[in-house]
Amino acid sequence: MDYTKKIIRQSNYWYNDGLKKARIRDMSGAIVSLRRSLQYNKGNITARNLLGLVYYGRGEVVEALVEWIISKNLRPKNNLANSYLQNIQHSARGLETINQSIKRFNQCLVYCQQNGEDMAIIQLKKITVSHPTYLKAYQLLALLYLHTRQYAQAQQVLTKARKLDTTNEITLRYMQELTQIRGKKAKKPENKGTKKKKKRKKETVEYNLGNETIIQPAHRMVKELAGRFTLMNIVLGAAIGAAIVWFLIVPAVDETKSDKRNKEVLEYSERINALEAQLSAVTRTLDSYRADSADSEEAVQTAAATAESYENLMTASEQYNSGSYSEDTIADVLLAVNRNALGESGQERYDDLTSSIYPTACSIYYESGSASYNVANYDTAIEVLSKVVTMDESYEDGGALLTLGLACLENGDPESATTYLKRVNELFPDTDNAQEAKTKLEEIAAAASQDTEQ
Amino acid sequence: MLNYEEELKKFKPSLEVEDIEDAVYQEDLTDMSDLLKQVMDQKK
Repeated sequence: MDYTKKIIRQSNYWYNDGLKKARIRDMSGAIVSLRRSLQYNKGNITARNLLGLVYYGRGEVVEALVEWIISKNLRPKNNLANSYLQNIQHSARGLETINQSIKRFNQCLVYCQQNGEDMAIIQLKKITVSHPTYLKAYQLLALLYLHTRQYAQAQQVLTKARKLDTTNEITLRYMQELTQIRGKKAKKPENKGTKKKKKRKKETVEYNLGNETIIQPAHRMVKELAGRFTLMNIVLGAAIGAAIVWFLIVPAVDETKSDKRNKEVLEYSERINALEAQLSAVTRTLDSYRADSADSEEAVQTAAATAESYENLMTASEQYNSGSYSEDTIADVLLAVNRNALGESGQERYDDLTSSIYPTACSIYYESGSASYNVANYDTAIEVLSKVVTMDESYEDGGALLTLGLACLENGDPESATTYLKRVNELFPDTDNAQEAKTKLEEIAAAASQDTEQ
Repeated sequence: MLNYEEELKKFKPSLEVEDIEDAVYQEDLTDMSDLLKQVMDQKK
């Protein structure tokens, strides 16, 4: 076997290997194998066309076109690459769209180098929409998601990337990185996660229906709602019960209590009234006893006064009959006699004695009282003149009354003085005594008004 | 742990449609037969 055949065989071997890998969408592996096939034999058209197709399959359209163009140059006729190129030429708008996507991808690389990850992510999302088989765009987007900690989005993008190329080294490394990150995250809230899983298990019910496994929530919404309604009913019932107690039972209890209290108050009031009545009766009895006591005492006093009056009358009579006593001495004894306490005979005897003794006694006492007044011995004057006025109020045409009033006035007793002086005016209005009394009364009034003003 | 900067460097700009001609010319088409011929020429 010459070297040419060996080389062609080797080239075919790697082509077959590339074809196998391409069939299971192991694009990276297929590219390596097909590149080797072409390194052995650059004229292996099928290998080159397949290489172009593999590039095309993972979105690298320009690389695919390069391979197909070379293929066409190497074999212008009876070449599958011609149909590939014709298809692309027929869909010029599609190629333009792909070219725009590629340009955007290159721009995204610039954004990334300038820390414009946000802009790059936005552009790459658009690229994956307009050019859905562009593997590099998915991979770059996944890298940016990982960098910005958007792991869920990274997972989605990497899943799509893996479907385009199952053994791509970058895709697999990113997926591994993502798995490690999630593993670390899962370890931290392990207990919480386990609980959640358990809870989730409890919340679901699995059963087989024919060939299908059906998973449905253990607690259906109706049951949950029923539970909530039950709780609401309990709360509502408690509230209604409380309202009934508050609005119906409590007032009834209060009313009963107030009735009881009113009855007690009435009972106490009746007791108080009864006690007051008893007290009143006792007080009245006591008052009657006191009144009786006062009457009896008065009767005793009256009896004593009567007895004393008789004794004094007898004494005065004896003194008068003996003739050894002066009129003023007998008059003193008679002044102590209460005429009203005497009987008729007693009063007759009293009148006889007074008519005989009082005029002389008045003369004696008047002279004595006037003398005392003139020497400013007012106390004695008042004492003596009082006896004269008692015996004969009109003695000396009111002279005794006037002198007695003046003595009281001088002695600092204007009230008594006023009484005596007024009496002078009443009894003897048109006399000198009355005129003097009037003058003194005016002076007393003036002095009283001055004292009031001061 | 991925190094973002290093990973970013691994991404090279893709070829655009305008670059196809240059890419075709720059494509290394040397294969094993060409190498053998060069070796044999050198031996001669």
